[in-house]
Amino acid sequence: MPTVHDLAYVRSGDKGDISNVVILARDAEAFRRLEHGLVPETISTFLRGLVTGEVTVFTLPRLLAFNVVLRGALGGGATTTLRFDETGKSMCSILSRMPLPDGGSLPVASGQHHGGPSS
Amino acid sequence: MTANLRIGSGSGYWGDMVDPAVELIEKGDIRYACFDLLAELTVALLTRSKMRDPAKGHIPDVEQILRQVLPPARRNEVGIITNGGGANPSAAALVAARVAREIGHPDTRIGTIEGDDLTGRLDEIRATGWKFTHLESGEEDIDRIADRIVAVSTYTGSEGIIEALDGDAQVVIGGRLADSALYCGPLMRHFGWKFDADDWELIGAALTVGHVLECAGIASGGMSSQWRLSHEPWRLGFPMAEVSEDGTAVVSKLPGTGGVLNEWTIKEHLLYEVHDPFSYLLPDGVVDMAGVEVTELGPDRVRLTGMSGRRRPDTLKVQIGYEDGYLAEGRTMFPWPDALEKADFCEQLVRRRIAHLGVEPEEMRFDRVGWDALAGPVAPRPAPDAQPNEVELRMVARCRTRREAEVARRAMLLPATAGPVGTAFGAPLAVRKIVALWPTLVPRDLVPQRVRVDTAKELLDAHRS
Repeated sequence: MPTVHDLAYVRSGDKGDISNVVILARDAEAFRRLEHGLVPETISTFLRGLVTGEVTVFTLPRLLAFNVVLRGALGGGATTTLRFDETGKSMCSILSRMPLPDGGSLPVASGQHHGGPSS
Repeated sequence: MTANLRIGSGSGYWGDMVDPAVELIEKGDIRYACFDLLAELTVALLTRSKMRDPAKGHIPDVEQILRQVLPPARRNEVGIITNGGGANPSAAALVAARVAREIGHPDTRIGTIEGDDLTGRLDEIRATGWKFTHLESGEEDIDRIADRIVAVSTYTGSEGIIEALDGDAQVVIGGRLADSALYCGPLMRHFGWKFDADDWELIGAALTVGHVLECAGIASGGMSSQWRLSHEPWRLGFPMAEVSEDGTAVVSKLPGTGGVLNEWTIKEHLLYEVHDPFSYLLPDGVVDMAGVEVTELGPDRVRLTGMSGRRRPDTLKVQIGYEDGYLAEGRTMFPWPDALEKADFCEQLVRRRIAHLGVEPEEMRFDRVGWDALAGPVAPRPAPDAQPNEVELRMVARCRTRREAEVARRAMLLPATAGPVGTAFGAPLAVRKIVALWPTLVPRDLVPQRVRVDTAKELLDAHRS
């Protein structure tokens, strides 16, 4: 199965106990497959134990990009966390190992997530 | 028609390289260089240093940065804008004045912006009925932490910068000016974009440009998926933007400098540390990135179009820093053979020792560096017969009191002397005090900025008298 890593460039940043993972599709086809696979529940399950709060996915079709916002993601936030990676810079790499459904029999994306959050 | 404005990034954080800023000021044909020097916790730490010494509380590096950038900035008429005043902008202004005099420019006009520090005003504001509700947890007010508060600072916007530039300031020094405001202020002043006119879309564009530039080299090769293309990263070229009066911009870096600036480095940074990209709340406006397009024009040259924004919020973001216990940390390394098993053995040794002494840390963590220190429970498990060359055990405990943290710290040294053969150890780490953050809001009209512009000479004369 392909992973997020196979289809996208990624980077993460922090604010308080919230981590955001920027996912940049490498091309339009990758964007379509990522859009299908970046489901908040799936992400939440994949990151279980590491991220405790709500997961929101924002979709930016013009940039072929996604912004995944993870709450309760940094063990309390950079100044209090016991983690070595206080600001969650590696969160993007961790999420980029998430498998995505195979592209072969994909339904055409509904588009209802365009321009808005889904959580 | 108003001419385009070229604006450059001087610094993305306290400790950043300074030579790229000097290079931009010398060769970038820019009008302003902006220096963001504050992270979320910085102001709280600086407030502590101000409490110890009233002449401190600013970013100490302001002095050596200005010593390097002010001579070319004065020569090329480049304005310097920074939030390096931290918890004490007027002390930083005095430092700037001394540097200006040293380099033979006592006429340098220095703008000082204050008012963001609410540390002494909490009771007054709470007396109006305002509650400092925690933005993430929803906890309604600060009663629980009230007696442990170190500092309260407000992310403030561009008005003070615009006022200082109107007063012909050549160096503008503020406290917790929002990173984006350092850029939005000079752009708004240059193009005459106004908060009280219908300029929100253009202000949104200025904020987007500011957001792209505010972390300096992190948009031009640093922290990037494009790291393999980043040549000579030891002398990164910092980004600059040429902004047009329609709010579009071309972002680039100087030819011949290190790093890389392409579609991907800009897109990475566009969304960096943003939550809702259609409603990114900043002191000067609400940025909407739905229409933004990023186009590569050539090597290290990217066009940004389609930026937009809406009216600024009535509230400003506030960070309350408060003391929240103590942290003990220990690190030790195990060689082949059975390194992972030795790590397990020592985790038990440390946990049981701390319990044996009757201490109950609020939270503990044991990482196997190389296996799971970053991904934690998401990391794939090692095979049962895995025999890595070496493994580091990283141990951390958060305790309510310093005494308990000291007990934990000493226990974390025990693997060296009470653990398996071959256990390696380095210099012990000291117990650290934890300052936690309480993000919240305050009504904008309760936090007016105070601006003054003086020459270096005037500041030094006033200080002497």
